[in-house]
Amino acid sequence: MEKITKLGLLCSLVGLAAIYAGAVHVRPSITPIAKIDNEFIGLKVIISGQVVDLRESNGHLFLTLQDNSDGAMAVPIFSSVRSQLGDSIEMLDEVQVTGEVMLYQGALEVVPEEAGDISIVHSPCLGISSIDNSLIGEPIKVRGIVDKREIVGKGNIILTLGEDGAQLAVFVPSSVAGSSNFPEVHVGYIVQASGWLQLYENELELRITGASNIKVIEAEDA
Amino acid sequence: MLELLAFIALGIAMGIVTGLLPGIHVNNLSPMLMALAVASIFAPMSLAAAIMAMTITNTFISYIPSTFLGAPEPGSELSVLPAHRLLMQGKGCEAVELAAIGCFGGLVLSVVLVLPMSLLMGPTYKMLRPQMYLLLTAVVVLMVALERSKTKIIWAITIFLLSGFLGLLSLDTNICRSDATLMPLLSGLFGVSGLLLSLKNEGKMPEQRIDNRPLEMKHHLKPICVGTAAGAVTGFFPTIGPSQGTVLAQMATRSSGSREFIVSVCSVNMAKALFSFVALYAIGNARSGAAAAVGELMEIGPRELSFLLGVALFVGGIAVILHMKLGRLAARNIGHLPYRATCIAVIASIVGLSIYYSGLVGLIILATSTAIGILPAVVNVKRTHCMGVLMLPCILYFAGMKGGVLSAFGL
Repeated sequence: MEKITKLGLLCSLVGLAAIYAGAVHVRPSITPIAKIDNEFIGLKVIISGQVVDLRESNGHLFLTLQDNSDGAMAVPIFSSVRSQLGDSIEMLDEVQVTGEVMLYQGALEVVPEEAGDISIVHSPCLGISSIDNSLIGEPIKVRGIVDKREIVGKGNIILTLGEDGAQLAVFVPSSVAGSSNFPEVHVGYIVQASGWLQLYENELELRITGASNIKVIEAEDA
Repeated sequence: MLELLAFIALGIAMGIVTGLLPGIHVNNLSPMLMALAVASIFAPMSLAAAIMAMTITNTFISYIPSTFLGAPEPGSELSVLPAHRLLMQGKGCEAVELAAIGCFGGLVLSVVLVLPMSLLMGPTYKMLRPQMYLLLTAVVVLMVALERSKTKIIWAITIFLLSGFLGLLSLDTNICRSDATLMPLLSGLFGVSGLLLSLKNEGKMPEQRIDNRPLEMKHHLKPICVGTAAGAVTGFFPTIGPSQGTVLAQMATRSSGSREFIVSVCSVNMAKALFSFVALYAIGNARSGAAAAVGELMEIGPRELSFLLGVALFVGGIAVILHMKLGRLAARNIGHLPYRATCIAVIASIVGLSIYYSGLVGLIILATSTAIGILPAVVNVKRTHCMGVLMLPCILYFAGMKGGVLSAFGL
């Protein structure tokens, strides 16, 4: 083997070893969302937080994660990655995402490359009877039987969910109810709904922000 | 109108700067134009036109340093060896002419293909994506098998894996920002390594023959068509560069001549540059830093796309003339320059820029990629195997295995 070949090979291996050692030293670690700023653009981070917003568009899923550092971060899960996910992501789930920090339309986001970059821990549903005014303004997830379904205004839907005698109104704006992926929901169905709790005309009401925030658990022929 | 023309002129000037200086890319200057947009002083259309003008001009002009100095911009790395070979035969001017034919032909054909490709690419991308890793693996296997002898095949695999692992470590870990890593990585593999070997050989620049004949496009229609088609396809796909597109085009047409190769790689590069903007409209995703900057400036509908394509054609006409003038100027004067000192100056500028962009880590990446880039020439295998730097991460990404492989290495 020529001297220059040996030298080239040796330098390549030493260089790779040095870069590997450096990469191990700076491997991504769990980063509080509030700490992530423009300095992180182009770097990989791991963030872990609760899904406080969830929207769907053209097969892509757009999450907002919030952690206990009080920071919120957009996480787009593109359809190619979403189709590989074995599990669905719901509002209030605890999700850990590894991805590159990118700037999109002036806002930071963490973009996972593959399904293995996302791990999901589902959060339990709250009992409807345990919901009170202290939760107003908080995101919550409930499960119950549709006792009533009415259409109000220009295509808005109000579902009344019941569980063990307690009831909660679920407000579905027409923009959500009219979207193609909003499921068929009828009286008697068991559904799971997640959204923000608000007060409307002195009554507690759950407001749905996206079609993926309502899921039919059991469809019963009425 | 005057503002628009002024911005197109500014874009052309910036394209010449980014094209001539190895290591300075369009993506480095786009933020300057974005800053003007934030300040809301000028119309977004004018700024978008400037970015398009810069991209098109840069694509043309970048072949001049890659031909005469062997220092490529990302995307033109595969054209370096054939172009350099012509240069050493005193035909540097012909290499520049072939690049002009490839770029201009690719530009015109890309504009013609915009409508059918926009309609086709969405569904085709969805259909091909799950099999993409198999397609790329097949390309790699073919590239290696073409070495024929057992020793060369072993070297080809070694070089592919070394450069692939370097790509994985540099582009997919936090060792360096991903956008700052490409420059030292590709400059080392395809630029500095060649320049260092030229120094060893006491490379003497032969007298260059200057040819003032008009450009003849009709003899190069096949590489233009194949290159443009490959560039258009790769323009829609993330992480596949013009070089992989060229490899696919070469495989498809079984063409191996230096001249055809230069024309097709230039057509691939131009089509990819243009279709990265079309992807904004067709699939809603930007496929280059410059296209992303335009996407930030304005919503791309049919009207905006037509405007940008018009700007591209207008600028293409000017850029091809500038490219030929500058190329002939370089060919006339390259023989008068002290070749060794010029090579050393280019290497020094690449080292300086690597440190500027990515610090000490950039220097280590540059040194390692240079060491790997030297290997194909000394063991006499094709330098294309160094494309493992992008292809291995690409294959792992499409196979959904990148995270698993990185975890296996504790990264």
